[in-house]
Amino acid sequence: MSSADEIKRLFKEAGLSINPDADEKVFEDIQIARQKSEENPPAVSVGIGRILMKSPIVKVAVAAVVIIACLTGVFMFSRTSGVALADVLNRIEQISVYMYQMSMDMSGQVVAGRPVDQEMHTTILVSQDNGMKMITEMLVPGSGKTIQQEMYMLPQEKVMISLIPGQKKYMQIELDDKLIEQTRQQNNDPRFMVQQILDCEYESLGVSTIDGVEVEGFQTSDPNYMGGMMGQIDIKIWVDVETQLPVQAEMNMQMSEIQMHAVMHDFQWDVTVDAAEFEPVIPEDYEALSVGPIKIPAFDEKTAVRGLELFAELTGHYPEELNLMDIISKTSEAMGSKLARERMQGENQDISEQERVNELTEQIMPITGLITFYMQLVQEKKDPAYYGENVTPEDADKVLMRWKVSDNEYRVIFGDLQAETVDADVLAELESALPK
Amino acid sequence: MIEDKLLILRFKQGRNGALRQIYDKYKIEMLKLAVVLTGDVNTAEDVVHDVFVRFAQSAQRIGLTGSLKNYLITSVMNRVRNHLRDSNRRRQAGLEEADSLSSSERSPHHWAVLNERLAFLSRALQELPYEQRELVSLRMELDMPFRMIAKLQGASVNTVKGRYRYAIAKLRSLLDSEVEL
Repeated sequence: MSSADEIKRLFKEAGLSINPDADEKVFEDIQIARQKSEENPPAVSVGIGRILMKSPIVKVAVAAVVIIACLTGVFMFSRTSGVALADVLNRIEQISVYMYQMSMDMSGQVVAGRPVDQEMHTTILVSQDNGMKMITEMLVPGSGKTIQQEMYMLPQEKVMISLIPGQKKYMQIELDDKLIEQTRQQNNDPRFMVQQILDCEYESLGVSTIDGVEVEGFQTSDPNYMGGMMGQIDIKIWVDVETQLPVQAEMNMQMSEIQMHAVMHDFQWDVTVDAAEFEPVIPEDYEALSVGPIKIPAFDEKTAVRGLELFAELTGHYPEELNLMDIISKTSEAMGSKLARERMQGENQDISEQERVNELTEQIMPITGLITFYMQLVQEKKDPAYYGENVTPEDADKVLMRWKVSDNEYRVIFGDLQAETVDADVLAELESALPK
Repeated sequence: MIEDKLLILRFKQGRNGALRQIYDKYKIEMLKLAVVLTGDVNTAEDVVHDVFVRFAQSAQRIGLTGSLKNYLITSVMNRVRNHLRDSNRRRQAGLEEADSLSSSERSPHHWAVLNERLAFLSRALQELPYEQRELVSLRMELDMPFRMIAKLQGASVNTVKGRYRYAIAKLRSLLDSEVEL
């Protein structure tokens, strides 16, 4: 026994067998324990479900993440390139209606001091003609109970409707023409993920089998996925070798203090569906979460400037970097402080919760719109850059953000939030003056 | 990995068969780990039985983010550590007999039957201090990276690597002398 390798071999050869009768008895014990715990679930703890319901800031922050994820198509695809994966994209394009399941677990902190450990199970139905319907069940930690949410994304009606049957509440979000146009090519489906992988460094995981189906896997952990906005990612997708359609996908993301793990599975392609499935019914006794429909701004320069302005008003500086969760977290924290100050000074005491939701949404939407706009610039390969780490609202002559608008021209937002179009040489000079 | 995520999800959703699949997939690995850590098959059976019972009761608390295998390994390690700590206390209080009695009472009889090599290895490992035994088992049996072992043992990677070198040298000498005997 002279080497570690030999010890290792001894470990591998050392083994045990199981007595089947005893094994069944042990498993019976385990099943009984499971049944008993189901009959006597633990007491409800103060989890995210209750925090979400009680805190309008967290509610709006989480809603903003969900809305942005849907509108920008965190789980969707569009153009084509590459080799085998591009064929997958083409194949999905030919399918008019499909559905799949998504199981997601999110943990960490969206807002400082508010730990989140949220699990969601969503059924997603996508129709090229009618839009998208998502039914989500969110598990309330420690209670065994779930909160159900139905969301409809209806491009023809230019509206997104979210229903929470358990609370008899609903939210209506208006989408303007520009936003509809921006999202039309990015319906919420697996295509976006394939496209994003195609735009990144990715590798084949080879052929394996899932539920008896021969699949080929692809993986990316390229930090440039989604223009680097999603933090650290690890994405794997498995495609049916025969039909060229996705069978399963897994995503791990680490964004600031938030970890997300999602599995997309049980894909059904070319399903027959009644158009009525996409017609939400809002019962008369449901109460709106906001006063009137919430408007989502278009993801453009105007919104980006407004987002920068609002962030600076709340925090005194521009975001150091355009990281979605980081910005949501800092914005929510600043909003919380602002609300606390107002309460202490006795201001805005008569504002209803609905009005508060409107107010918070009006602030957070342009800020998240800024991120989304930048994300689009990255996707459209418009050579964007952002210098919030070194530029303050006082720096009227410094480049805060820029992107390409033609072969030799760039649009520049300066520290004082004025925007100008300059040629590449001028931009180079301006950027050379930035602190390193 | 994804298979485990789906298994946990189905288990949490109360789907029939998921708990059975998890149990069947990991019981032997966990029993083997418990045997090498404790050096006693009855105690090892108790530990793993207990780990799966607790796991079955915790469907609502288990998240989908971590690794199922690591969760079970950590549970086994924690239970073994608790067992050793309790045994030491009982020994100090002169109650060793009570410990072995309670252990055998809860033990499912003849659940695991060790092959000769596992019995031999397990005996040799008991000569190592517990931390080294745990380290060698995690590294050799489960191919766990030093970084992860360091995290589990609350020590630096360099400390763990140093311990590992000592442990392997000692284990080599122990095994050589056993073979010669």
